[in-house]
Amino acid sequence: MHPSENAITDYVDGTLDTTATADIDRHLESCPSCRRLVDDMREIKGVAASLELREPPIRSWTRLERAVTLEAETRSAQRAQSAPPSVALHAQRAWRSRGALGWLAAAAVLLVATGVGLKLILSTPPPSTARTAAPSSTAPNASANAAAQSVEAELRQAEDHYEKAIKGLEQIASAEQNVFDPKTAATLQKNLAVIDQAISESRAALRAEPTSEPAQQSLLESFKAKMALLQDTVSLINEMRKGNDAGAAQIVSGLKQKGD
Amino acid sequence: MQNRLALVAMLSVAAVPIAAAQDPYDPDPRIAVREVVRDVVRDHVQSVMRERVVTPRTARAYQGRDRGPEQTERFSRKVKLGRDGRFTIENIAGSITVTTGSGDEVSIEAVKRTRGDRAQLTSVHIIVDERPGRVEVRTDHTGRNDRVGVDYTVTVPASTGVEAKSVSGDLKVTGVQGIVRLESVSGNINAASLPKLESAKSVSGDVDLSDASPEADLNATSVSGSIRAKGLKARTLDLGTVSGDLVLSDIACSRLGVRSVSGNVDYSGTLAKSGRYDINSHSGNVRLALATDVGFELSATSFSGSIRSELPMTLGGNSSSSSSSNRDRDNRRRMGPGHATHAVFGDGSAALVVRTFSGDIVITKR
Repeated sequence: MHPSENAITDYVDGTLDTTATADIDRHLESCPSCRRLVDDMREIKGVAASLELREPPIRSWTRLERAVTLEAETRSAQRAQSAPPSVALHAQRAWRSRGALGWLAAAAVLLVATGVGLKLILSTPPPSTARTAAPSSTAPNASANAAAQSVEAELRQAEDHYEKAIKGLEQIASAEQNVFDPKTAATLQKNLAVIDQAISESRAALRAEPTSEPAQQSLLESFKAKMALLQDTVSLINEMRKGNDAGAAQIVSGLKQKGD
Repeated sequence: MQNRLALVAMLSVAAVPIAAAQDPYDPDPRIAVREVVRDVVRDHVQSVMRERVVTPRTARAYQGRDRGPEQTERFSRKVKLGRDGRFTIENIAGSITVTTGSGDEVSIEAVKRTRGDRAQLTSVHIIVDERPGRVEVRTDHTGRNDRVGVDYTVTVPASTGVEAKSVSGDLKVTGVQGIVRLESVSGNINAASLPKLESAKSVSGDVDLSDASPEADLNATSVSGSIRAKGLKARTLDLGTVSGDLVLSDIACSRLGVRSVSGNVDYSGTLAKSGRYDINSHSGNVRLALATDVGFELSATSFSGSIRSELPMTLGGNSSSSSSSNRDRDNRRRMGPGHATHAVFGDGSAALVVRTFSGDIVITKR
């Protein structure tokens, strides 16, 4: 039986006690693959010593946060196993089963969530209509303010729905980025960043002008664009998995390197 | 401390054989930490490894691995399909070209290519699955990490429906009369003279659509590639990009939906009476060159972009600017930024809805 990853790491770092070190020494005598691994680790450790200090990018913390949140959700789901499982939990379990159907189920749950958001938005009267419908004779400012607050509240509600759905899709998409070749993965990330920028600009505009119809529309359109891109990404992941194209990314990547 | 962090990351990279035994969907934060730190140092490590660890001889050997003479292997197959059949083809790397021919056969010509070991060619299998009224072609890469591309040239009976998917590699389909659906991840899509083209989707490739009168609703999307459509006469066009530009010329359709986040939108064409045209862009500019034979009612909004028309329009309401009033009627003028403008040109029979956040909106005469 091979030593654990942590044991080998500690062995290379020289932090194991003498008994454990001796055990691994004995294993290495008869296991060429672990010997190669240890050699590689030592070589890399040597190179690492010469690296300059670097700060992790901001986006890294988002990924960490997602992983920690996901773990917490998984644990609470496990604790609640005796309770009737929710639709979302079903989807989450199916998703973890790694089958294409599982991915589709997870995406379907998110689509339901999005549908709720969309319904909410569609049921919201256009802000301009709300403004024009406001009585002009008595207390126009109060009515206008009330209408504006109502629109803002509904916008926030719609935003919440979108954000929940987007968060779920992001988890799927980021966990499965390895099915894409690096250039495609970079393209998707770059364009998600373009949309995030649009969302950010729209939010800033709404902070400055809460009743701006173009800013409201732009925010909702940007959410829709992000949802669409993430849904397409998940669909693509499903396609790649379904077609057993796990190696496709490597093949494509290899060919691109060759062509570069 | 950070050197230690980097070391952990690199040890994780080296420990892949062991880590691979774990469930890849395990949300263990340690794995996330490892991936994050690995990302941080990966580029740096690669450069250091290149400079210090990999000897020039090893590097030359590695680089030469796929720089040898091109090795090819040809594949040829003819399959009877008959009229109105369906042809499906999937490819990972390499182009797919589909044209039409007389007769009732599908002709599949393929060339496998590699600059690596010739033996790699045999690990790629072209599977042709024949069923009544249907032919499916798949490209199976059975070897790991092979570097083989397959270029297909296919001829189908004109009435055939075609579905083509490629991960990397261009798709070109011409003259097919049946329903056509095209998908590519990083390849370009070129679709010409396809009356029943339903969809053309790419992630990073460009999409070119030309000379067709799609009877069905046509949906074309790309994430970062451009979408160019020329000479299309369609009932409904639904087009979308994130960062790619949309260039639509000589278009005639009664329903148009265009979405872009940062890409520009250029539309040149005619409007249909009672047609509806919705164009949305966040930061991309929208330029419309319109034939003047059909009037339209314009509803244009932009948060900070300008709205400008060279066509004489009657302004009918401006929700955010007090400067516009009756004196703005029937003139050609810059309407200014931050507007929600309603205006009518001619009989106002078509509905033109244009929204941007910061992109400019310009309407000119075609």
